[in-house]
Amino acid sequence: MPMLETSQLRPEPSKGKAIVAEHLSKTFRVTKGVLKRTKTPVVAVKDVSFEVDHGELFGLVGPNGTGKTTTIKMLTTMLIPTSGTASILGYNIQKDANEIRKRIGIVLGGERGLYTRVSAVDNLRYFADLYGVPAKLRDKRVEELLQFMGLWDRARDRVETYSKGMKQRLHLARGLINDPQVIFMDEPTIGLDPEIAKETRKMIQELVEKGKTILLTTHYMFEADELCRRVAIIRNGEIVALDTPSGLKKYVMDTSIVEVEGFGITEKEVCQFREASEVLAISAELGEDKQILKIQTARGSEIISQVQEILKNSRIYDMKIKEPTLEDAYLRLVEGSRR
Amino acid sequence: MMLGQLRVIYSAFRLAMLHWIADPQWVIPNVIAPFVFTFVALTLFKGAGGPFGLYAVLGGGMMGMWGNTLYSSGFAIEFEKWQGTLEDVMATPSHLLHVIAGKSISNALFGLTNMVAILVIASLIFRVDLGVASPVLFAVSIVLTLLSVSALGLIFASAFVLSRYTQVFANGLEFPIYVISGSMFPIALLPFWIHPASYILGPTWGIEAVRIATAESIVPTVFWVNLSIMVVITFIYVLLAGFLFSKVETKARRDGSLVEA
Repeated sequence: MPMLETSQLRPEPSKGKAIVAEHLSKTFRVTKGVLKRTKTPVVAVKDVSFEVDHGELFGLVGPNGTGKTTTIKMLTTMLIPTSGTASILGYNIQKDANEIRKRIGIVLGGERGLYTRVSAVDNLRYFADLYGVPAKLRDKRVEELLQFMGLWDRARDRVETYSKGMKQRLHLARGLINDPQVIFMDEPTIGLDPEIAKETRKMIQELVEKGKTILLTTHYMFEADELCRRVAIIRNGEIVALDTPSGLKKYVMDTSIVEVEGFGITEKEVCQFREASEVLAISAELGEDKQILKIQTARGSEIISQVQEILKNSRIYDMKIKEPTLEDAYLRLVEGSRR
Repeated sequence: MMLGQLRVIYSAFRLAMLHWIADPQWVIPNVIAPFVFTFVALTLFKGAGGPFGLYAVLGGGMMGMWGNTLYSSGFAIEFEKWQGTLEDVMATPSHLLHVIAGKSISNALFGLTNMVAILVIASLIFRVDLGVASPVLFAVSIVLTLLSVSALGLIFASAFVLSRYTQVFANGLEFPIYVISGSMFPIALLPFWIHPASYILGPTWGIEAVRIATAESIVPTVFWVNLSIMVVITFIYVLLAGFLFSKVETKARRDGSLVEA
């Protein structure tokens, strides 16, 4: 894959941290009712602080609706914080929004966010102009990016004919069109086939190797584990833990995971586990054909008889005790603290 | 204006053109409808004498220009929201005003091609003698009126960033402007209390300049006075649109109203 050319217009990276968020908070006012309308404040992000080094891939993970996207939007100047502040490459998000916009790339992901009636080339040329990419560099960079993303053969086709994976790669290409120093990626692999998601992760790693700073949100823990140097776990708009993936795993070092695969397991039984004092956290995938429970406990194999007792009306296909992963640490921090 | 800003306007103009070509269904409400209007007006007033032919052609042309501009101003924002690109566009260092200006000019230009088509049809089929005394002044006044119409569209577009009812507003604003700008008939026929609204519309002066350019005996001073007033009003529109866009963008960033509501 060709190396991306670094713009000659780009100034030297600022000293210090690439991203600094200080006590960022965002409260939206949501309208309720039809005839009698009232505005209710909804806190999306509360007192979020963290720093990201130059060239670091930093993960922001958490369940849906916990403030990951709102945090990214504040850092990328798309939203003004209610309180707190942040700086990107030394520029303040409120005072120097335009300076920041020139130096960052945003990948919001999903199937939207592209002009589907025109080609990939037209999409990228348009955004290159909006980012002020010098005219003599523009077409060269568009070609390089489409080559890099493996889209060059279909570059002149309408985007509406692209697969989900191709659209995602085009999103990535657009996020790089201004050769940004800092890239914000909001769930870049969501909804992608495993193979394409793997390819996307590889591309993200290559970008970090090229010196880019990346802030990535995801709710795939294995992805955060594989890619990120440090991970912040966000719950209800607040950061509840911030550490390296191995550091976060220490939160669950004293626990083991009992994984149960069965049939006929109901929500009622899951609630019984939640109420059991030996259970620190539980995740349940209640599919139609089979159900999978992941029970965190400090008692290890001692809990097996209790599991069998609660699931006496269900069929158990398999039960094993596993070492905790980052996902378990995440579950403990998010789910466990709700208890 | 800086070269970079012109490049953004051109790029938005080009993208809007590509979308028009890719999706020609808009031809029906924005090109065929004004054409039908002109056809009906010319049929009704055939042989009536006087400046009816001119009013029918200018009315149809103005309908095309304003309809397209208003539509583009309102729909440009709505379209970006539908595509999920509004946030991406606003996250670039370019001003949204320049992006919408490019789209607005592109759509007004489509309206202008409609006017040219109407002129040709009126001349060849209905034998309307517009008697354009000065083709050069006629062309100058038409192009400047087009820019004035585009600038007027920009003011409305700023409000459309915030609202989810853009299409309703756009529909509601379409006919009043035709009427009070004097494109369909002279504003002298309107109640006097509407006249101030007519005079603050740049296109009112532009349409008058177009009409003067078609008159047998042009009074250059009157022509240039009308055109100058329009240019000044258009300039004020652009300044006002710039101010409104800044305010609206800040409000949208504060409320989080950039995404599809």
